[in-house]
Amino acid sequence: MVRPRTRKRNQEAEPGRFPCQHLLLCFPAFQTRKMDLLSNKWIINLIVCLFSIGVGCNSVEKKIYVHLNYTVPCVRLLNATHQIGCQSSLSGNVGVLHVLESEENLDWVLRSGPNPPYLVILEHPLFTRSIMMKLKSGSSRVAGVAVVASNTVPPDGFSPHTTCPNENSGVYSENYDPALAHCNVTVWNPLGNGLAYEEFDFPIFSLKDDNDTQVIRQCYMEHNRAVNGTPQYPLCAMQLYSHMSAVTDTATCMRRNDINFSISPEMVCDPLGDYNVWASTRPLNNTAKGHKDGESVVIAAARLDSRSFFFDIAPGAESGVSGFVTLLAAAHALRNATQESLPPRNIFYTFFQGETFDYIGSSRMVYDMQNDQFSVDLDNVHSVLEIGQVFNGIISSLYHVSRKNSSVNDEVRKLIDNLQSAATAAGVSADEPSFSQPLPPSSFQRFLRDRQIPGVVIEDHQSAFSNRFYESMYDNAEYLNVTYPPNLTPEEQLEFVTDVAKALTEVATMVAKALYMQAGGVESQLSNIKADPQIVTGMLYGFLVRSNNSWFQQLLPSDLISHLADRPTNFYVGVAQQSSEPTLLVQYLLANLTGTTPNITQEDCQNQRENEKDTESKHMFTYMWVQGAAPPNSTKREGFCVRSTVRLSKALSPAFDLKEFTSKDYSTWTESRWKTIKGRIFLVASHELEMLTLGVGFGILISSLLITYIVSSKADMLFSSGREPTNATY
Amino acid sequence: MNLERLPNEEKLSLCRKYYLGGFAFLPFLWLVNVVWFFREAFVKPVYSEQLQIKTYVKRSAFGLLLWVAVLTTWITIFQHFRAEWGEVGDYLSFTIPLGIP
Repeated sequence: MVRPRTRKRNQEAEPGRFPCQHLLLCFPAFQTRKMDLLSNKWIINLIVCLFSIGVGCNSVEKKIYVHLNYTVPCVRLLNATHQIGCQSSLSGNVGVLHVLESEENLDWVLRSGPNPPYLVILEHPLFTRSIMMKLKSGSSRVAGVAVVASNTVPPDGFSPHTTCPNENSGVYSENYDPALAHCNVTVWNPLGNGLAYEEFDFPIFSLKDDNDTQVIRQCYMEHNRAVNGTPQYPLCAMQLYSHMSAVTDTATCMRRNDINFSISPEMVCDPLGDYNVWASTRPLNNTAKGHKDGESVVIAAARLDSRSFFFDIAPGAESGVSGFVTLLAAAHALRNATQESLPPRNIFYTFFQGETFDYIGSSRMVYDMQNDQFSVDLDNVHSVLEIGQVFNGIISSLYHVSRKNSSVNDEVRKLIDNLQSAATAAGVSADEPSFSQPLPPSSFQRFLRDRQIPGVVIEDHQSAFSNRFYESMYDNAEYLNVTYPPNLTPEEQLEFVTDVAKALTEVATMVAKALYMQAGGVESQLSNIKADPQIVTGMLYGFLVRSNNSWFQQLLPSDLISHLADRPTNFYVGVAQQSSEPTLLVQYLLANLTGTTPNITQEDCQNQRENEKDTESKHMFTYMWVQGAAPPNSTKREGFCVRSTVRLSKALSPAFDLKEFTSKDYSTWTESRWKTIKGRIFLVASHELEMLTLGVGFGILISSLLITYIVSSKADMLFSSGREPTNATY
Repeated sequence: MNLERLPNEEKLSLCRKYYLGGFAFLPFLWLVNVVWFFREAFVKPVYSEQLQIKTYVKRSAFGLLLWVAVLTTWITIFQHFRAEWGEVGDYLSFTIPLGIP
């Protein structure tokens, strides 16, 4: 029912403009010098007229414009050498709508159409590199692009990322295995078209296929379709605002951030970054940084973030969620075993943020370890086990680097043996790739840059990614087959164990067992280690469908509940100042899944202590007061305290601490700031009509000025009949 | 102040003040001087102080033109090359435009 009303607003747009132009007629009346009864009346009329127009102006605006409700822009990001993304001019880009039907149809936009610039509406299948590049090269006739996302996953795959993710920031370079650098052996993401790393000088928005797009289509059909060659005015047009403040590269924008002697100093960009989340099986003194004697640590890593072409849609189902959900489930599976018999080595569950953008999180952790800013240092690291994309839970590939160093090789062999025996026990197949390959893009590469640490990366692909939607908006629940039988309530969906959850549970069990063996745990505990499919399916539901569910609500403190939302989580890392939703969720999930619930009061819990005299525990543990569930016959939740070893560590690229904005070693990605992001549609009159209206307005203004002048200079003659000259007032 | 009502000596002293004041990097004083005293210097019938006023007005006009020429050249160069100069350009700028190099 919304549709007819918005349509009507549209049709009224043209007449809606005229009331304001009556003002031109009225204004000169002010200049009448002689105050007599007649002009007094005029002025009162005028004031009433002005008042009513002033009040009515809002509705005039509404009559002219239809604002788009759901607008997701592509924004500008910058690194040491480039800017990528999109931007509009300061006052928004206006273009006549053109719904693109096929690639051949581009000719209308780029050459033959009579009313440039055009604002192109694309269906998602047409959002390809070839079309976008043609539009980019013909950008004098293109005002912007709006992409209508389809509700179904495209069958052929789509990835706006590059074919070789994090090509220049991994371990392989000209100095280290140059034969493997730049994806020479394996192109990891063959479907990548690189669109997300292009620069466009017009705005690109994503629209949902809903009422807004219906209005746009209808407006286009009624006004812009060419009947007998050329479309007739008025034409339907769209205006998109996404003006970006930063420009050129990170060095430029960070410098401009610091120049503050102008009248209104303004920040133009912010570094990308967030927090890494980590927890250890054995509590460590987190206040004392640097090397810990006698400590040997197995790092179990996964990455948290993802991205897509557009700013705040990054579902990252396979590229991020599958890996870290598996690690969370493995951490949970290990809770009981480690409580009963603590293995001699410590296990660090580590979740890295910002890995999409040249390994922000892992490079920072390694940097902190090198500079004694972290709880352990690199000498304490025994080995690394990283979980990559593991959606396809049946086949797992184990990647490792083979180096000449034989002691490291022996350790890697042991780790692989551990994994394979764990895999057999968990009913999963895990093999090494059939031919010698480099490591896929992974956080582990940042550790290898510093030194030879034995490690393995678990993936679900033998060579190229099996993920056909790497870092795209379609890497979502639907693609991962996280679907539920119809007629389930949200509560039932949360409980329902999907096939994907079952598969990931098996992988989690394998990871947990392997980690336990790797940490030197006793064989007898191995059979007790089992991941819980209920936990896995709950997490998949929470991250891919709706984070605002009853389970997540119980795990968070009451003041953070507002961060939960009724949509899939957005895994774009965002700027360093704001802690993002995924970090928060993983932090509390990890605490609840690995921690214990000591019986202490809310006050002590919030003050990070066991009791009033305790000042030591806060160095070893984190205490969180979460709101818990309400008992069956009550509405008041019963909160409880969670004691865990979960900590956050900064995931801000060291380049920003070192102020090396052109660094080749560290990520230099920044995000531009902006003021307005919005879009609206309206009808435009022809250029001639606009000029004519303006000309007539000016004509009336000039002639009324003339008349006023003549009347006032001849006033004595015109108004003198039977009255004294009004000189008494002067 | 109405110049018509001033005695000629005061006109001269006023014109001199504006002329000398302009040397304190205040070209607008010279502009005012030129506009204000143009009639006195070149249009009014001859009087004894007029010659001196004429000199001041001419010199003010010359100084003003010099300022205009220098400023125009600098502004043109600056606007044209600011982006190219990069760091130097930014530090020379009082307000940096958003979203353009």
